[in-house]
Amino acid sequence: MSELAVAAFAAASDAHVLDAPRTQRFERFRRAFDEEAFRRDLDARGFRWVARSDRAFPPLLRSIHDPPPGLFVRGARELELLAQPSVAIVGARACSPYGASVATNLGRELAAAGVPVVSGLARGVDAAAHRGALASGSTVAVLGCGIDRDYPRAHAVLANEVASRGLIVSEYPPGVEPAPWRFPARNRIVAGLAQATVVVEARERSGALITADLALDEGRDVLAVPGEITSQLSRGTNHLLRLGAIPVTCAADVLEAIGVEPPAAREPPTLERRLELVRGLVADAATTADELARQTGHSAGAVAAALAELELLGLVEEAEGVYRAKA
Amino acid sequence: MRATWSSPSRPRLPFVNRHTCGTDTYELVAYGGNVLARTITHALVGLEPRRVEVEAHLQRGAPAFAIVGLADRACQEAKERVRSGIASSELEWPRGCRIIVNLAPAGLRKEGSGFDLPIALALLAASSQLPPDSLRGLAAFGELALDGRLRPVAGALVAAEGARRGGIQRLLCAADSAPQVALAGIEPVGVYHLAEAVAYLRGERDPPELLDPLDDSAQLDAAPDLADVRGQERARRALEVAAAGGHNLLLAGPPGTGKTMLARRLPGILPLLDDDAALEVTRIHSVAGVLPPGGGLIRVPPFRAPHHSASTAAIVGGGSGPRPGEASLAHGGVLFLDEFPEFPRPALEALRQPLEDGVVTVARVAGRAVFPARFQLVATMNLCPCGARGDSSARCACTPQRVQRYREKLSRALLDRFDLALTVPRSRGEELAGPPAEPSAAVRDRVLAARRRLAGPPLERTDEAQHLLTCAVERVPLSGRGRARVARVAATIAALAAEEVVGTAHLAEALSYRPPAELTE
Repeated sequence: MSELAVAAFAAASDAHVLDAPRTQRFERFRRAFDEEAFRRDLDARGFRWVARSDRAFPPLLRSIHDPPPGLFVRGARELELLAQPSVAIVGARACSPYGASVATNLGRELAAAGVPVVSGLARGVDAAAHRGALASGSTVAVLGCGIDRDYPRAHAVLANEVASRGLIVSEYPPGVEPAPWRFPARNRIVAGLAQATVVVEARERSGALITADLALDEGRDVLAVPGEITSQLSRGTNHLLRLGAIPVTCAADVLEAIGVEPPAAREPPTLERRLELVRGLVADAATTADELARQTGHSAGAVAAALAELELLGLVEEAEGVYRAKA
Repeated sequence: MRATWSSPSRPRLPFVNRHTCGTDTYELVAYGGNVLARTITHALVGLEPRRVEVEAHLQRGAPAFAIVGLADRACQEAKERVRSGIASSELEWPRGCRIIVNLAPAGLRKEGSGFDLPIALALLAASSQLPPDSLRGLAAFGELALDGRLRPVAGALVAAEGARRGGIQRLLCAADSAPQVALAGIEPVGVYHLAEAVAYLRGERDPPELLDPLDDSAQLDAAPDLADVRGQERARRALEVAAAGGHNLLLAGPPGTGKTMLARRLPGILPLLDDDAALEVTRIHSVAGVLPPGGGLIRVPPFRAPHHSASTAAIVGGGSGPRPGEASLAHGGVLFLDEFPEFPRPALEALRQPLEDGVVTVARVAGRAVFPARFQLVATMNLCPCGARGDSSARCACTPQRVQRYREKLSRALLDRFDLALTVPRSRGEELAGPPAEPSAAVRDRVLAARRRLAGPPLERTDEAQHLLTCAVERVPLSGRGRARVARVAATIAALAAEEVVGTAHLAEALSYRPPAELTE
């Protein structure tokens, strides 16, 4: 099987190679390439290789116009996870607390509905989506470097968690360093694996928009989370909406787009009146503790207590002094 | 203090002649005058006084003046000040003989200018310009000006305590230092001029009357008032809880939201220091030389706000003869670190010992000094290096990596020491235009009442509160230290509410002051 040789050759020659090239250079490489040793080495490190021609290779990814020769896989889960209907969540690395909150909630609820969340393990929206999904289900991280590289380094812990409860995949063999040109290539796999792509926050010229474009090219659904029209971070997503992307107001919107039945809504817990009052105000609009104290007429201490209890119940969350309702 | 040369066959010393200084003409041999005289003074080692005997010896030989006994530079320069001071006081400089001043014990390093006065007095006694017994039962401490005036020196309080422990009843010092000396429980003899000191020792006059130290209440009035802070109810509440429980407080948020203003008002709502604490604080400030002249005991908890360019030694103390740093100067009060993450990392980590043990240990080759440093830490920080994060009206230009580096400067271990942490959002315009808020005095009354309750038996938790705490440990999650911290803050909140038990509302409020998630990730 020469697909592994192609992948190894692509890494060795630092080039984007999808099929066996008819060059003397590749011939020489293929003859010298010790596939058995390479596979033994992968096995020894607990990594797997699934070739494009393999039955286990995700069919959605195979159907894009430039599928990779195969995927290197790290993680405990079975390969069927890659073939399940899944949703990609992508967005800005320098996202706002709002973006991080939305990504986490979407990730959690999609995973809870049995839909794996695909993303790129980058900072910001990507990491938030992975974290949310891990809280209730499974997730797939697609890297633009070797699957052993844990890039960015700050996400090494997150990467381990993804590997233990989901999968980390890459078209590059272990050891390949991240390079700027590999990330757009990675994005085509993110878009290719997923049935639909959700853009949470994106500036005007963002990598997330490349993923959205790639998804559109393959005829997949693109959804976007509406943002404030004054925020730079919403330029990209609002532009997508103007072009006809499906607006996301809750996880059910996404599930509907990929034709998955949303799980039965759980009963909202009944709350004491003082908690319900505060929750209602936070649900109306994200706000500060001081503002809530003024609106309810309660003391700052009482409002703080109510907010802490709501946080423990998972109904409210705080970021940078602003409280938001959790979906 | 008897003459060492008694042989009548000794020739006369050349300085024996015409001069009269009020009483006698002195003449070493012929009049049986002293050639060796002693005064007692005290050197400071950290916060500890060490008894030092200053011996002055006049001997025949080529004219010279030497100070021996490990004197530092400031101490060596005493020669010139003493010579000028004596001349300016219309006293006689012992001419034409070798003058040796020994600072015993010779092995102890002496620093500073407090030895000027004892050296001058020993010299005057050795040359018979003072009655032989006049220096008995007396210690001296002070710096001389070239015109003979006395200047106050840092550490007078500690020197006076050393004198008291050594059974000495009186301390001759600069008039400005006299209130400090009186605090140590011995009689200060505060004088303005060397000539005055000499007149006193000759029994020609009484020491001058001392000014009353400043009133304690005047100190409190000088503190800024909480009424100036408009809006920010949550932050004000956190400040009150911090004051009531002596908790460390971290205020995060964009610039211009009143974080610094709030922090500066913390001493104004703290209880005044009791006698023991006040003496200890005053002692530290005395050694550091930062006591206001004429001030008595420090009653208002000190507020120290070192700039973030401060070195580790400046914060925790140091130097070859160790001196207290800002952490010790804040003992009994508030150490305020504005722009917390901008401080050098080693300086921040060095704060972990005093935060844990309440003392700073400065170890040097020559020995070690232990300074008390039990302070309340109040720190402020922005949410990102440019400061725009968290401010809806500004756009943050920081890259995620930069934000991460900024926040990584706060180690988890250090962040764990803050009992209360909160993000202070920007106030709205209408709040700033509103009426003045509650004044410090009202808040202070509640804090005092809560402190009295907290001093009693520890408050029990209700079953519901216990259940909530257990839930929080799993949901948040809380570390062991974090759990203890929440329980402590909850007890403070219950005490503020004048409740007998810690209920769910108190515990929930305490949970709301844990470090924001964005800092702990």
